[in-house]
Amino acid sequence: MAGAVGGLISLPAWANGWTAESVRSVQPFISAEQTELLAEMVETIIPATDTPGAKALNVHQFVQKMVADCYDKSAQDRFKNGLESLDSWAQKSFGKPFSQGDVAQRTGLMTQLSKSADSAQKDFYGLVKGLTIRGYMTSEYVMTNLTHYQFIPGHYYGCVPVSKK
Amino acid sequence: MSYFNIDAQAQNTYDAIVIGSGISGGWAAKELTGKGLRTLVLERGRDVRHVTDYPTTNMQPWEFEHRNQLKRDIREANPIVSKCYAFYEGTEQFFVKDAEHPYVQEKPFDWIRGYQVGGKSLLWARQTQRWSDFDFQGPARDGFAVDWPIRYADIAPWYSYVERFAGITGNKDGLATLPDGEFLPPHEWNCVEKHFQKKIATRYKDRHVIMGRAAHITQPQPIHFQQGRAQCQHRTICERGCPFGGYFSSNASTIPWAAKTGKMTLRPHSTVHSIIYDEAKGRATGVRVVDTQTKQMHEFYARIIFLNAAALNSNLILLNSTSHRFPNGLGNDSGVLGKYVAFHNYRAGISAEYDGDLDSTTDGRRPNGPYIPRFRNVEKQETNFLRGYAAGFSAGRSSRTDQSGVGADLKESLLNPKLGGWYVGSHMMGETIPKETNYVALDPTLKDPYGIPQLKIAIVYDDNDDKMVKDYQEQLTEMFTEAGFKNIRVRDDHRNPGLDIHEMGGARMGKDPKSSILNKWNQVHHCKNVFVTDGACMTSTSTQNPSLTYMALTARAADYAVKGLKKGLV
Ligand SMILES: Cc1cc2nc3c(=O)[nH]c(=O)nc-3n(C[C@H](O)[C@H](O)[C@H](O)COP(=O)(O)OP(=O)(O)OC[C@H]3O[C@@H](n4cnc5c(N)ncnc54)[C@H](O)[C@@H]3O)c2cc1C
Ligand code: SF4
Repeated sequence: MAGAVGGLISLPAWANGWTAESVRSVQPFISAEQTELLAEMVETIIPATDTPGAKALNVHQFVQKMVADCYDKSAQDRFKNGLESLDSWAQKSFGKPFSQGDVAQRTGLMTQLSKSADSAQKDFYGLVKGLTIRGYMTSEYVMTNLTHYQFIPGHYYGCVPVSKK
Repeated sequence: MSYFNIDAQAQNTYDAIVIGSGISGGWAAKELTGKGLRTLVLERGRDVRHVTDYPTTNMQPWEFEHRNQLKRDIREANPIVSKCYAFYEGTEQFFVKDAEHPYVQEKPFDWIRGYQVGGKSLLWARQTQRWSDFDFQGPARDGFAVDWPIRYADIAPWYSYVERFAGITGNKDGLATLPDGEFLPPHEWNCVEKHFQKKIATRYKDRHVIMGRAAHITQPQPIHFQQGRAQCQHRTICERGCPFGGYFSSNASTIPWAAKTGKMTLRPHSTVHSIIYDEAKGRATGVRVVDTQTKQMHEFYARIIFLNAAALNSNLILLNSTSHRFPNGLGNDSGVLGKYVAFHNYRAGISAEYDGDLDSTTDGRRPNGPYIPRFRNVEKQETNFLRGYAAGFSAGRSSRTDQSGVGADLKESLLNPKLGGWYVGSHMMGETIPKETNYVALDPTLKDPYGIPQLKIAIVYDDNDDKMVKDYQEQLTEMFTEAGFKNIRVRDDHRNPGLDIHEMGGARMGKDPKSSILNKWNQVHHCKNVFVTDGACMTSTSTQNPSLTYMALTARAADYAVKGLKKGLV
């Protein structure tokens, strides 16, 4: 039941709460350009395939909301500095701004960051990746269509043969 | 003018006053109104009506802006309550925030509170194990505190009485340490829990692993339908309030039941300042209340008063109820009021893995888990510490996803988690010894926003607790090893007392008025129309979660109070 066809996904209710407007109206945190850049980054981490990717599910809005509201100053600085440096890291890696790289180039940069000896790179990537996974896995689209979350299971069965699951 | 006063007095006069609407106060309200008494229930917090005032109860995980994580400013502003596992984005509305109701930590004690109609009954973990005579005889046998004035036989019928109404799931296990009750069908075990149960039964004749007894309706009876409650649907988000009334709370059960009698007046936003003692009559005549919205002081009068503000607040109210007759607090001729406070030691835990039973897994969720009743020092003293501990236990199957990749590969692995092995875990619930040096008192200078003295709390662990932590770790390690569990890790998180949320004592029951505040009917020895039936009354703590015992004691005391009123004993 991998539901939605192509780009025809209607925005779920919560996504309205995560629009750039509402996030920024509460607390100016990152610029519009940086929000776009973050969207490209989360989409690189979890891209659209036959199901929507992180950008279409507005995970970038979730990531910045979490960093702004729940994390302490040092994590926020790491996040902002990382976004400011992302284009220059991309230039160094493949000679273009991040959003102009192709999938292989962008994915390659992510892998480089994950292994970087520079903690500014590695920690920034770890923070964004962790929140991207969380935002994606707990999005309405994924929980209802892909992982089939049961809000009201109505039971607990203790010994179910693995083959039956 | 004098007419006006008489009118006002008549208008503010009831048969009974109940202070607090939580687990115990809800029961007092139900019992007293059920026996025909016009009852005023005073609650310092706001009203919380069943279902309509549970704002987060039907929210899906993705509807929480921060996925139930606390915001930084809330965490920083609330270092105490933020330590409670049940305090998160979906439950913030039911907890007291640190700054709202300050208290003095003479020694670090984390006081977790819920101030609203229903009190902490909305938030509790619903574990409801009975006490046995091994618990009631503890102080007498081991020479601490004072002897309980009651035994199991005194309270057993009242356990049955409250269990039938509240709805308790459990299995009849036939254990002397943990008497059976009136149970709805038990929750299911999983394969690894069963394996552990079997191994322990084979290896130890005096250690048992049973399914916890809990206040969940696994099979509704007519009495539950009459309350408008239905079968528990296993959502396991109970602390947000349950629209099915699947678990017991005052809001779903006792308070609406009392309201239906037409005899209850519920007054939220009413903080009781003190109990009024009439020297000429030699009894309490009513209470002084600060209306938290208008900050006006009011007086209300009644023939009997039930004090159910939760253990430490009931101490505060008694300590603050001074008169010529009782300069040190109501009923405090003995000088023990506020002292001998104890709690449960939840510091230690253990976790491990198990690589058997890989062909089975679980399905659904269970708002309960297995339980290991106390096995230390039960028949006689056998260790270098007094008393013992019970333990929670559970097993679950993990799921593993490889999160190392990036892009389409990562997405693929996130959406196709692999079934991992089994993990098992346990936490201790230790009995602590009530001591004179663990006490609460009124701060001499600091006041709350309503002009009431702040409570000063001095409660700490002792050597007995440290030894017990060590023993729990050793014994559970042995039991886990016996069951073939691997990679065993023990912990002692050194949490402050208080986080167990089972504080008890301060106005203890006892046979002798010289060393206790309450008699065997929870009646203040020296002020017979005041009853204290929450945790403040507890002479010792046992290892079992206490609230079922508060309910039973409350119903028992209400029965005595109403009969006693007629006989002139109250
Ligand atoms: C997360 C959590 C898990 C728990 N798990 C369990 C468990 O599994 N099993 C168990 O047995 N117990 C458990 N407990 C403890 C249980 O909630 C308490 O023991 C129980 O609620 C105590 O009942 P009570 O009536 O004494 O107090 P409460 O339920 O706290 O009610 C007291 C009421 O009095 C009101 N009040 C206080 N002061 C005044 C005043 N001056 N004037 C007027 N009103 C006042 C308060 O606002 C409150 O509504 C848990 C608690 C928490 C928070
Ligand atoms: S587990 Fe049961 S009682 Fe708790 S919220 Fe779910 S349905 Fe209600």
